[in-house]
Amino acid sequence: MTTSPLLRLESVDKVFQMGEVAVRALNDVSLEIREGEFLVMVGPSGSGKSTILNIVGGLDTATEGRVFFRDREMTSFTAAELTRYRRDTVGFVFQFYNLVPNLSARENVMVSTEISDDPLDVDEALEMVGLEERLDHFPAQMSGGEQQRVAIARALAKNPDLLLCDEPTGALDVATGKLVLRLLVDLKTRLGKTVVLITHNSAIAQVADRVIRLRSGQVVEVAENPEPLPPEEVTW
Amino acid sequence: MKILDHKLRRELWANGWLLLAILCIIVVGVACFVSMGSSYNNLTEAKARYYRQCRMADFSIELKKVPEADLRPVAELPGVAEIRPRIQFFSTVDLDAVSEPLNALVLSMPDRHERVLNDVVVQRGGYFTERRENEVIVNDAFAEANNLAPGDWVRLVLNNRSQELYIVGTAISSEFVYMLAPGTIVPDPEHFGVFFLKQSYAEDVFDFDGAANQVLGRLVPDAPWTTREILDRAEQLLGDFGVFTTIPLADQASNKYLSQEIGGLRSFAVFMPMIFLAVAALVLNVLLTRLAEQQRTVVGTLKALGYSDGQVFAHFLKFGLAVGLTGGLAGCALGYVLAELMTMMYQTIFEFPELRNRFYPGLMAAAVSISLACAVVGSLRGTRAVLRLKPAKAMRPKPPKRGGKILLERVTILWNRLSVGWRMVFRSVVRSRLRSLAGIFAAAMGAAVLASGFMMIEATYYLIDFQFRWLLKSDVDLTFSDERGRDALLEAANLPGVRLAEPVLNVACTFENGHFRHKGAVTGLQAGATLTVPRDTQARPIRVPLVGLAMSGKLAEMLHLEAGDMVTMHPTKGLRHPQQVPVVEISDSYMGTAVYTDIDYLSRLVGEEFALTGVQLQMETDPGERDAFNRQLKRLPGVRGVANRQSMVKSIEDTIILSMNVFIFVLVGFAGVIFFGSILNSSLVSLAERQREVATLRVLGYGPWQIGSLLFRESLVLTAAGTALGMPLGYLLTVAMSMSYDSELLRFPVVSSATTWVMTAVLAVLFTVLAYLFVQLAIHRMNWLEALQAKE
Repeated sequence: MTTSPLLRLESVDKVFQMGEVAVRALNDVSLEIREGEFLVMVGPSGSGKSTILNIVGGLDTATEGRVFFRDREMTSFTAAELTRYRRDTVGFVFQFYNLVPNLSARENVMVSTEISDDPLDVDEALEMVGLEERLDHFPAQMSGGEQQRVAIARALAKNPDLLLCDEPTGALDVATGKLVLRLLVDLKTRLGKTVVLITHNSAIAQVADRVIRLRSGQVVEVAENPEPLPPEEVTW
Repeated sequence: MKILDHKLRRELWANGWLLLAILCIIVVGVACFVSMGSSYNNLTEAKARYYRQCRMADFSIELKKVPEADLRPVAELPGVAEIRPRIQFFSTVDLDAVSEPLNALVLSMPDRHERVLNDVVVQRGGYFTERRENEVIVNDAFAEANNLAPGDWVRLVLNNRSQELYIVGTAISSEFVYMLAPGTIVPDPEHFGVFFLKQSYAEDVFDFDGAANQVLGRLVPDAPWTTREILDRAEQLLGDFGVFTTIPLADQASNKYLSQEIGGLRSFAVFMPMIFLAVAALVLNVLLTRLAEQQRTVVGTLKALGYSDGQVFAHFLKFGLAVGLTGGLAGCALGYVLAELMTMMYQTIFEFPELRNRFYPGLMAAAVSISLACAVVGSLRGTRAVLRLKPAKAMRPKPPKRGGKILLERVTILWNRLSVGWRMVFRSVVRSRLRSLAGIFAAAMGAAVLASGFMMIEATYYLIDFQFRWLLKSDVDLTFSDERGRDALLEAANLPGVRLAEPVLNVACTFENGHFRHKGAVTGLQAGATLTVPRDTQARPIRVPLVGLAMSGKLAEMLHLEAGDMVTMHPTKGLRHPQQVPVVEISDSYMGTAVYTDIDYLSRLVGEEFALTGVQLQMETDPGERDAFNRQLKRLPGVRGVANRQSMVKSIEDTIILSMNVFIFVLVGFAGVIFFGSILNSSLVSLAERQREVATLRVLGYGPWQIGSLLFRESLVLTAAGTALGMPLGYLLTVAMSMSYDSELLRFPVVSSATTWVMTAVLAVLFTVLAYLFVQLAIHRMNWLEALQAKE
């Protein structure tokens, strides 16, 4: 397993100004995301895990501190550079899939391949998530698990370095959730993608190479997991 | 309910841009209604007041000469309340300050002021005195345009003699609200004036002792016969005195133009606001449907809390009512200001003693009611949808939108070539049916307004070109007071600076085909005439027949004649024998009902060897010679009219270009509001509905311009579809307008060049781009991170 950092956060603070009240979502967070690892960030609601994901994904910027992608400092990216970064580097998977209701499975994947410089074949991406039979179905015609797999295919098809998953099993039943986890683990092992998954479900941490625990905007534990469990053996 | 009103107020505020777009459309619609309605009322009332004040005649009969005593049978006709014999002649005016001779209509008025039919309203100076017999009252506009004032002397050629007349006053009359010289279409007070002479002086100078050549008449309110029947009977009674024409008030030139304008205002006051308010209702519908859907959980909660359906309904309806009321009131205010401006414009076109813009409370109340009604209709659909929901269901988020294939996908060859972006655009257009229909409808209306407007402009320029450049090609037309022989042609040809002179013989006559009759005139032209070139419907020159008539299509239509038919002609000149003549050609013209034939043939028909009543001249371009020409012309006896085509065309074009510019400005503004308002609204609603989708695309790496391009393409598809529908609609509209303006006096050609269509398309796209820029701003400002995290 490689250990060089893909992303590095140095003393990052994030403050949300909610009217007259300032809410500190991240407080002096420093961490690394290593190339090719399966990293799970666990924490309860409000622990700051989504905020970290947004900053790492180029959706949001830090209030204080510095963020590096490889050796480039992301904190100084312009809006256009951030767009470029999201387009080329990051694949996002959401809890509620966020598919475009107007587009079929295949077309939802094409939404991301069309703007990508080096995309995978659309059908191949859908085959990888086991949806070769459902190419022309629309979101409203698919189950939650299928929709999430389309979302993963969409993230994957851009051929990104980094896959960011925000509670990808949160809206799914246990069995379907395990299938989705299996898929994500396979992406890491077979394609060598870096996968970052955030969840409030501690059980899922068992499949990770590394686990970062968060509470109230701070990192409370970073733990290596030398022997990750296969998703099928995890229960929650 | 108090707290719900707070909610309402905040929502109105939060939807500011969308509401502004709808408000613009409503305001313009209501303003149209109010301004045109007010102008209609202003003109109608001013006309009625003025006609009463001047005791406007219900008809006039023009004849060669009739002793007043012989008019008694006409006065005694059932339905005739009163008649007034009058002397009228066309003549020329010689002003020292103006090189060319000007044209005048000379009318007799009682020596002492009586409230006769077609009375005058003195503006400056006074009525005739007993001090001089040669006193004159000049129409006010001519006096003003030529710097004449009471106390000045003016020289007129009356009955071939130059006469010095003393101006006692200036006046206006209801007969000349829209004062036209013969043969033109816009007032030209600089070159044409009306001169009122004392009755006794007129009788004396024209040798009309106790006689008249015009009879004015007023009818009793419930005449047993129609005006036409009475006039026909009068014509029979006066047959021996050479009746040229009988004119009911409806056909009197000034009245006709004025009535046409008033009628046009009335149709536009109904038609234009209808377009705007229909668009506004549809757009409001889109917005409220969106708002209601967005608030389904709120509605569910309210119902769960115990609010009744009625209360929730009323709450949403209030949103529409607030928009309707604001739009209605603002529209009334704007409409009042516009009516003020329109009335000012009418003051320059029409001559009234008093034309003012008034406040019409009834009209305003109607305007606000219409606006409210439109808002309520627009709100109903969205509001009703909310009510149908059961509270428990309403509180759950809406299930994802149904997906599926659209019809276009069946065309796989085309569909497979489309990028995902275009597929999204087309699916979105098809899926949001209501919104798309609203967009297409609005664009169609906007395009129809533009296309028909541009076509009207083209028609106007075409008409001017046709009448004054292709049909009439002379520089100066002289009309003589009597028939003349070849010597007159020679005399005219020898005037300084004349390059070419061609004779014209005008004979007033009645055409008859079975029971279809029409009074008109025949114009005789010399074989191969080059200064009057009759044309067919394609504007190709036609040859003037050596035997038979080339009749204008309008007259042929009125008489139910076709080329090859025979028509009976009763000339009012010469031997006055009825003649059977063939209609050889049908010509086209947009003014009057001209009939052309060969001058020798026409001379023979009226029993002369060769006669002419006018000469058309082509001039050398040397300005020095022009002065000499004008000097001699002023001394030429027997000239009753001088038409200078260049100055005529210039005055027409000046007037028309000015009004066309105003027209274009208003037209483009109106269409702009429709396009801009509807596109802005539908794009912003689309954006609001798809916030989450937009946010997802941003996460995937789409830039704001790429997302904007999706919405822009959607607007463009709607605009294109609407414009494609609106263009033919505009064409049909113009055909309808041209048909409604089709009169003996003036007709509008239906012409459409590429310019009309290109301009319409370009403007449609331009407005779409303009609206899109606002949408792009909204995309840039959108907090997509928040939209991403919002659970729908």
